[in-house]
Amino acid sequence: MSYCVHCGVELDDTAAVCPLCATPVHDPKTPRDTVSPTPYPTRSSTVELPGKGELGLLVTVILCAVAAVCGVLNVFLKPGRLWSLYVIGALLTVWFWLILPIFLPKLHRAVKVLLDGAAVALYLFLISVDLSGRTWYVGLALPIVLAETAIVLAVALWLPRHSILTSITVLIGGVAASCLCIELFVDRFLTGRWQPLWSLVVTAACAAIMAVLIVVRRVPGLRAWARRQFHL
Amino acid sequence: MAKKKAQPETWYPMDNAGVLYAAISGDDYSPVYRISAVLDKAVDAAALQRALEKNIPRFPTFHVRLRKGAFWYYFVPDDRPGPFVQEDVCNFCQPMDPCGEATRLLRVCRYENRVSIECFHALSDGGGAMVFFKTLLACYFRELGEDIPDGDGILDVTEPPRSGETEDAYRRYAGGRAAPRTWKQTAYHPTGTPEPFYTLNVTQGLLSVAQVKQVAKANGGSITEYLSAALIWTLMELQRREGRKERPVSLAIPIDLRRFFPTETVRNFILTARPCIDPRLGDYTFPEVMEQVRYQLRLELSRPLMKGSITGNVNFQKNPILKAVPCVLKDPVMKLSYRLAAIRPFSMTYTNPGIFKAPAPMARHIQRVEAVLGQPYGDTVNCASVSCGDALSISFASNLKERDVEREFFRFLVREGLHVTVLSNRSDPS
Repeated sequence: MSYCVHCGVELDDTAAVCPLCATPVHDPKTPRDTVSPTPYPTRSSTVELPGKGELGLLVTVILCAVAAVCGVLNVFLKPGRLWSLYVIGALLTVWFWLILPIFLPKLHRAVKVLLDGAAVALYLFLISVDLSGRTWYVGLALPIVLAETAIVLAVALWLPRHSILTSITVLIGGVAASCLCIELFVDRFLTGRWQPLWSLVVTAACAAIMAVLIVVRRVPGLRAWARRQFHL
Repeated sequence: MAKKKAQPETWYPMDNAGVLYAAISGDDYSPVYRISAVLDKAVDAAALQRALEKNIPRFPTFHVRLRKGAFWYYFVPDDRPGPFVQEDVCNFCQPMDPCGEATRLLRVCRYENRVSIECFHALSDGGGAMVFFKTLLACYFRELGEDIPDGDGILDVTEPPRSGETEDAYRRYAGGRAAPRTWKQTAYHPTGTPEPFYTLNVTQGLLSVAQVKQVAKANGGSITEYLSAALIWTLMELQRREGRKERPVSLAIPIDLRRFFPTETVRNFILTARPCIDPRLGDYTFPEVMEQVRYQLRLELSRPLMKGSITGNVNFQKNPILKAVPCVLKDPVMKLSYRLAAIRPFSMTYTNPGIFKAPAPMARHIQRVEAVLGQPYGDTVNCASVSCGDALSISFASNLKERDVEREFFRFLVREGLHVTVLSNRSDPS
């Protein structure tokens, strides 16, 4: 019978170290019992849990099949228009948005947002190819997609490190920034200069809500009240 | 010849706790717990298998498969042969894929002198599993030629199961006004370096019930109250040492409702009590923590309050709008709710299924009984204790490399003058 000199607990005769502090057992009068069975088995095993990879693979195959069929049909049906690009682009976007996270669950959220943004940009590019819309793609669609991706990226990187109230405030700020960007690029594309109108209304409403949330966040009594009310 | 009328297929709706455990089970969490008995002789696997085969028909809700419907989960009887006695492994409470075709929601294992059952929590709580386990052990000893009478929680396996044993006791006792839900503050969580998913580190302390009872009495409480206070005290010390932003320290203590609402059910029938100490209010002494824990636990064990909580939980299941929401949408919401309402406000779970009482011819062959809560939700530590005769076992289950909570808790008990023997399944000596 040995005791740990640090913890004061009795140890099993088969123990080489104290399970609590890892101090080696060294008792010259009672050598460690290496013959008796240990209190717990030493064999380990793992149960195979079904991953979602198989589901992801199945959906990928289905999406690929649909894309391939549309591509082939396009050769025979209305071959003058590249209508299959709409379907293929949509499927590609769905794959990036929903299926890729199944294969790569630990993908960093920043990379995921960038890939999602790239998928949308690619989809719009395919549409512009069919419509010969290089002008609106470069002048309107691409800037909006880039700006929105940047905003979503900033919000996604900010959110996990802050409290729920701060996160809601930032989300609302993100909505306001998005609206301002959209109107900015639309105005510049259509009229050549920025004449903010509807986005200012949205921004003003968002600013009012944000001001309330910031006050609630700053005043402990209000913060406790809000958490109680909304189970935050 | 008259056509044979088709028999309606038997199925069991989930009880209130089962609904939750089925929904939150996933790739990263599997609510599996274990109850073991260490016997005076090596376990005879063949006799145990025979005992299991006799025992299973008496407990139909332990031999089921989980099915995922469009809107709710449900159980159907498992028509496969088995379950079969398995050789035990060191990383026990392995996760279960609850709806998997090959999955068994109940495992029976043996290693040297130890018999164990591992149970998916949607099947039953510790109280129900204890009845199953006692009856299994009684069958096992009868196979070895012992004369074990029924009673003390041992059911007669020659009788068919009674309807009360498979009832959903939550629904039986729900009624009247639902208790208002109160907002609970985020609690301190002991954290550390997570182990790989399949690793479960168990550290077990063995104590004398008489000694612990004496110390608990000297502190003015029961064994559960004393051990809960000791756990809270340990966590408060750890939090202070870590120097993090201070948060309340609280425990989730499952309460066996059978003591308050008579039922024969062997399915889930528990609620959770929450003793809590807020160290931000000032320095507490251990007697003050003990006093607070004692009063808080007794305050929560109010029958009308518990009935109100049961009603509130069952109302959720009966809500026609929620009934119409598909599982695909409901599961993520339930996972989030579980994290917010059942994980965030609790520092850790401590369960005490109580005293393992057995008839004398059986009790003399049992050295001790052990209870282990399986994989904790998130990277943290859980604790369970159970007593049999004069042997009290306290088991910590953790998926952390560090063993700070276990070490500080058992060192505290040693400083209180208690003799503690520690065992562990850890293979990593560092």
